[in-house]
Amino acid sequence: MPTHSPASTLSRRALLALAALPAGLARPAFAQGAGAAFALVKSTGDQLVAIVNGPGTAAEKRPKLRQVIEANVDIDEIARFVLGRFWRIATPEQQKQYTPLFRDVLILNISSKIGDYQGVKFTMGATHARDDGEHVMTIVERPNNPPANVEWVVANAARNVKIIDVIAEGTSMRLTQRSDYSSYLSRNNNNVQALIDALRQQAAENK
Amino acid sequence: MRAAIRPHFPRPHATLGLLLVAALSLGWLAGCAATPPAGDAEALAEFNETNDPLEPTNRVFYEINDGLDTVIMRPLAQGYRAVLPQDVRTGVHNLLTNMNTPVVFANDILQTKPTRAGDSLMRFLINTTVGVAGIFDVAKDWGYPPHDGGFGTTLALWGIGEGPFLFLPVLGPNNPRELVGFGADLATDPWSWVAGGTGITVFDWTRFGVGVIDERERVLDPVDNVKKTALDPYATFRSLYRQHRNAEIQAVRDDNRFTQPNWFAPARPAQ
Repeated sequence: MPTHSPASTLSRRALLALAALPAGLARPAFAQGAGAAFALVKSTGDQLVAIVNGPGTAAEKRPKLRQVIEANVDIDEIARFVLGRFWRIATPEQQKQYTPLFRDVLILNISSKIGDYQGVKFTMGATHARDDGEHVMTIVERPNNPPANVEWVVANAARNVKIIDVIAEGTSMRLTQRSDYSSYLSRNNNNVQALIDALRQQAAENK
Repeated sequence: MRAAIRPHFPRPHATLGLLLVAALSLGWLAGCAATPPAGDAEALAEFNETNDPLEPTNRVFYEINDGLDTVIMRPLAQGYRAVLPQDVRTGVHNLLTNMNTPVVFANDILQTKPTRAGDSLMRFLINTTVGVAGIFDVAKDWGYPPHDGGFGTTLALWGIGEGPFLFLPVLGPNNPRELVGFGADLATDPWSWVAGGTGITVFDWTRFGVGVIDERERVLDPVDNVKKTALDPYATFRSLYRQHRNAEIQAVRDDNRFTQPNWFAPARPAQ
């Protein structure tokens, strides 16, 4: 086969151009994504710290925290991720029951820790692009505790820019939660309804 | 949250190691987890990822440990927190950490991490003297940050796999690589070379006991939180332990700071 025919050169050029196109487009988009992710984590962190360290009882702070979390965290995406392969096994009705319950339990779990975080402050660090999104590094300092490395994962900018995971000292919140649920399900005959019932109980107990 | 769910214990007396091996051997006879059918690819992938073939046995030990923790360790740790102010507890922790530094130093060298070894050496020299036998962490403020590390981490850096998950009596979440590392750390601890006698036995056990309470106190809140919020605390601790250990090992692997002055790369341009 002739390797230098005009046609093959042309097609090769066209291919090269095509290959270069997304790369050229991706660069500014990436920079934008990193900037947006950084800004989102900074503003969310500032708001959370202001509420935690601000005046009022834990009960008064809870609705404010809920508002900030719902505005900046993609809870529906996390809910799907955490259920993993069982999301597809679940019936549409079960999916509909599960997502709001997961939302309630997640927010309850986060806001139950408010007391532990009194006096918290955080420092912003670098942002790195990874497969699952932008990872924004922060250092969280609490009185009487060693500083902790906390990494926030922000979904790629193509979709809406929201937080999808928090990795504290190397432990990912959504991965840990997925291990918990999948183990619970495998010990309950892979019955998604059992998980939904357990979540309903958790939500009711902690209200 | 410093998610040190696995307490990093100081080196106990060697008999404890023997007890562990005995208990573990008994455990291995007790039972294995059922492998999912080959047709269910996702379930099989999950089973392999979880890598917990001894799960039924591990869960028995988890229940035993949890029971002992509820009636003994947790109340002790709570008492320790209630009775001693934070400054005293920090001093105790610093003292224990300093006693462990020779083992960390040896492993820094085995891991071929010169800057970390330098940090460990300077920390031990400064804190043992200026820091009054290690009660005050002066070295941290002088630019020698603390780090942990035992032979388990060294084995990981040498490319040894972690092996299946283990939940052990007393020691909690573990794996064969960490267990071997734990034994090696015991054997290389200079304090265990000090000639025997009643005094040194009492000293060893006191150090171990105080170390366990210190570590338990430091994880009181995260452990309470997992037990309160997890549907399956065993699986949650397993996941947290593994993720945390892997992150610790990765942090050591990525710590390639140059020595000052940079003896090992003379041709490198100044930054």
